[in-house]
Amino acid sequence: MGLDRHPVERYAVWIKNAVQGDLGMAARGGASINSMVKSRLPNSALLAAVAFIIAVPTSLLGGVLAGTRPDTKLDRILSIGSLLAISIPEFIIGVILMMVFATKLGWFPSSSILLPGETILGSPKILVLPTLTITGALFAYILRMARANVIEVMESNYVRTAILKGLSMRRVVFKHVLPNAMIPTITVIANNVGWMFGGIIVVEFVFAYPGIGSLLIMAIDTRDMRMLQSTALVIAAIYAFANLAADLLYGLLNPRVRVGQ
Amino acid sequence: MNKEPLLKVEKLSVTFFTPRGTVIAVREASFEVSRGEVLGIVGESGCGKSTAAFAVMGYLPTTAEVGGSISFEGRDISTLSKEDLRELRGNRIAMVYQDPTTSLNPSMKIGLQVKEVISEHLNLDQIDTDNKVVELFESVGLADADQVGDRYPHELSGGMQQRVMIAMALACDPDLLIMDEPTTGLDVTTEATILDLVASLKERVNAGILYVTHNLGVMARVADRVAVMYAGQTVEQSNVKDLYANPKHPYTSGLLSCVPKPPGDGEISSRLKRIPGFVYSSQESDVSSCLFAERCPLADSECTTSAPAVEFFDQNSQVRCIHSDKVEPETWGGVDERISRKDVATPTVLTGHGITHQYGKRRKKYMAFGPDMDLPVRALNKIDFEMPQGKTLGIVGESGSGKSTLARAVVGLIKVQDGSLQLNGNELEKTVENRSNEDKSAIQMVFQNPTASLNPKLKIKKTLIRSLMRFSKLTKQGSEERAAALMEEVGLDPSYLERLPSELSGGEQQRVAIAGAFATNPEIVVADEAVSALDVSVQAQVLGLLEDRQQELGNSYLFITHDLGVVRYVSDEIMVVYAGHIAEYGPSEAVLSSPSHPYTEALLSAAPIPDPTAKPNPLRLEGAVPTMREEFTGCFFASRCPRKLGSICDTEAPPVQKISADDNHVINCHIPFADLTKIQT
Repeated sequence: MGLDRHPVERYAVWIKNAVQGDLGMAARGGASINSMVKSRLPNSALLAAVAFIIAVPTSLLGGVLAGTRPDTKLDRILSIGSLLAISIPEFIIGVILMMVFATKLGWFPSSSILLPGETILGSPKILVLPTLTITGALFAYILRMARANVIEVMESNYVRTAILKGLSMRRVVFKHVLPNAMIPTITVIANNVGWMFGGIIVVEFVFAYPGIGSLLIMAIDTRDMRMLQSTALVIAAIYAFANLAADLLYGLLNPRVRVGQ
Repeated sequence: MNKEPLLKVEKLSVTFFTPRGTVIAVREASFEVSRGEVLGIVGESGCGKSTAAFAVMGYLPTTAEVGGSISFEGRDISTLSKEDLRELRGNRIAMVYQDPTTSLNPSMKIGLQVKEVISEHLNLDQIDTDNKVVELFESVGLADADQVGDRYPHELSGGMQQRVMIAMALACDPDLLIMDEPTTGLDVTTEATILDLVASLKERVNAGILYVTHNLGVMARVADRVAVMYAGQTVEQSNVKDLYANPKHPYTSGLLSCVPKPPGDGEISSRLKRIPGFVYSSQESDVSSCLFAERCPLADSECTTSAPAVEFFDQNSQVRCIHSDKVEPETWGGVDERISRKDVATPTVLTGHGITHQYGKRRKKYMAFGPDMDLPVRALNKIDFEMPQGKTLGIVGESGSGKSTLARAVVGLIKVQDGSLQLNGNELEKTVENRSNEDKSAIQMVFQNPTASLNPKLKIKKTLIRSLMRFSKLTKQGSEERAAALMEEVGLDPSYLERLPSELSGGEQQRVAIAGAFATNPEIVVADEAVSALDVSVQAQVLGLLEDRQQELGNSYLFITHDLGVVRYVSDEIMVVYAGHIAEYGPSEAVLSSPSHPYTEALLSAAPIPDPTAKPNPLRLEGAVPTMREEFTGCFFASRCPRKLGSICDTEAPPVQKISADDNHVINCHIPFADLTKIQT
């Protein structure tokens, strides 16, 4: 463990090993951090992926619906709803969902603890509440951003051109409004992927979900510096990759930033 | 033979209900468009021209209330269902807009943007559709018609983008084509080629065209009949020749007399006439007076107590004025003689020598290595000029030719890399920070956009007093008195001193900007497109004001504009610049009367002439000013020159030809002046 050495020196050694793919040993339990991350990361990725797959299309749809009909009843409901979802922290949403669906109705389990030998895919019910919690805020962020961008694009001259070409409203929205409204929205989605991995920490803790977030909380509890550094590093790396992906996607949607033919 | 017109608009009114109050955009507009004719709608900004055009398309915000009727082939647009309206738009009625750059979808290839109109309205298969798109691109004169469809809007120049818009509008052979200021914002040279295209459409397509513009020169070029709009009313309608020759409404007559005459031979001996005041802006719905009465020289008590009815004359001409029989050339005042200063020699105030400036630094691809990436833009190349005291030097050229850079260099807003400026024989510091207070106050500037150049948070008084206290060394009280005097000198009431810029109209703001420039008793005022953003009536007021100031104070102007009519009106000498080089320089009469440098010739032939009987000169320039990143191996104008001699133009820089022994008239061209005389006449 090298506890007799200076913390800075220990940190330097950890970094040296980490860049070579070795995150070191956990402070307790004698397992390597690598193997713990490896077993937990897919769980978190699954949670994130499911939340992402549900939230992105629905929030975009909601954003377009609200943005193309500003100041109607539907727009008000979606806007106020999403504002609420953003304002309430996810540990409260999580607890409320738990109270309603787990305690009162008993539809889904309140905790996501896996017994030895169980897998998440084997008992998908445990995914539902954590996913819903994450989806809520994610949905709200993307919806608000998409709505604002759709409203802006709807007022542009080229959408006026499209409407006065006699195109159907559907074509105007899908071919002219959406691609252009997506350009700034993509950045928000990508930022949210990073944020989601941060939010996931809280959600995983609330539901005792066996992911990388609860690993991080555990590291804090046990003052396992190496584990803390490692999980933070993994989350930061995912954040960086999400942003890179967003930039690439941005170029795909926006011909003006495409470089080198 | 009572044929139903294609489009019949009767007593159209459009009112917007906004949170900030009611806005009446159109009050009572009536006009008709028949097949095969071009009806022009002309008027100053805020007169409801565009709103009327969009009302015909059935495209107004939901907060708008439309009165009167718009019938297209006998069907009232307002009664149509959404589906029927969609069937008309893009198909039977198509539109071309003012700003092509923002009117094209930036993330969609232009071919597809044209294609989708065809697929929406016509029943063609894939191959026919593709062929039709290529055909359309060819018909609007786009080069590489079969390739250009794969490009995105940002890869095209403004002129090409507008051609794409026109191709899109023509896609389904519409019966009615609406063009809303399609050349506003384009360079004169580009404008001329687009106007040629519109003129050729008249012969090719059997559609009615509704053409909206504020530019009387453009109107004269394209329209068959003209409707003049003022404050949301059509005030006069007539065929184009009658309207320009014998305007019946005082407003029309006023508009025509405040447009500077087109460049031509001879000195301008009379001053521009001015329409006082600003466009009627009250939002009262029932007005029992003539809306133009407050600005009209013929107005009497009857005009202010009852609204004039529309009076009809033969040949579809009509006018909304009870004094139409009294409108004559002298309505707006008789000839106001201009004092000729052609032969008055004055000392030189400012001399520029070898002024050279490049924007941007040379960059390599990989930090300090690899091939050059962005070469600097050579905005000015060895510019020499002299400004005589009490006279005006005009600078003309297309956008991107370096006009504004020169203005900024003179004022010291940029630090030029090379060359010198001398004020009354003394060397001037390059940047304004290093100049002494005397030098700063000697050279002042008026910018194009007065709204953006006045501090929106400062009262007019503060803005003026600041420069007065700083440069004139006046006390607070003294400068307040001086500020009030300045306001009166620019024709504004001193009570305006207490207002914020946002409480003034554009023309009033420009007057304040001019008052600010004159606060320091400058010897030189640099006016960079100072009247370009203003309506013609306001433009005439501001030009008159600038002229008055010069006569009283004897200052010099460096006057930059793209409008050849304006430059001819104000200038004693003219510098024609192209791609950062001087193409021609000399006394304005000599430069603007043919023959001259091929670039000057091309600019002159492109300038729209406010006279429908004038025959347009067919000489046109294609393309745009080069980026000026590469050094020219030969003549700077060789790539676009319509009179190119041959390889010498590509390999050798043109010599300076002195035209006359008496003055400073020079051209930079390989073609001997004697030959230019032959080919241009």
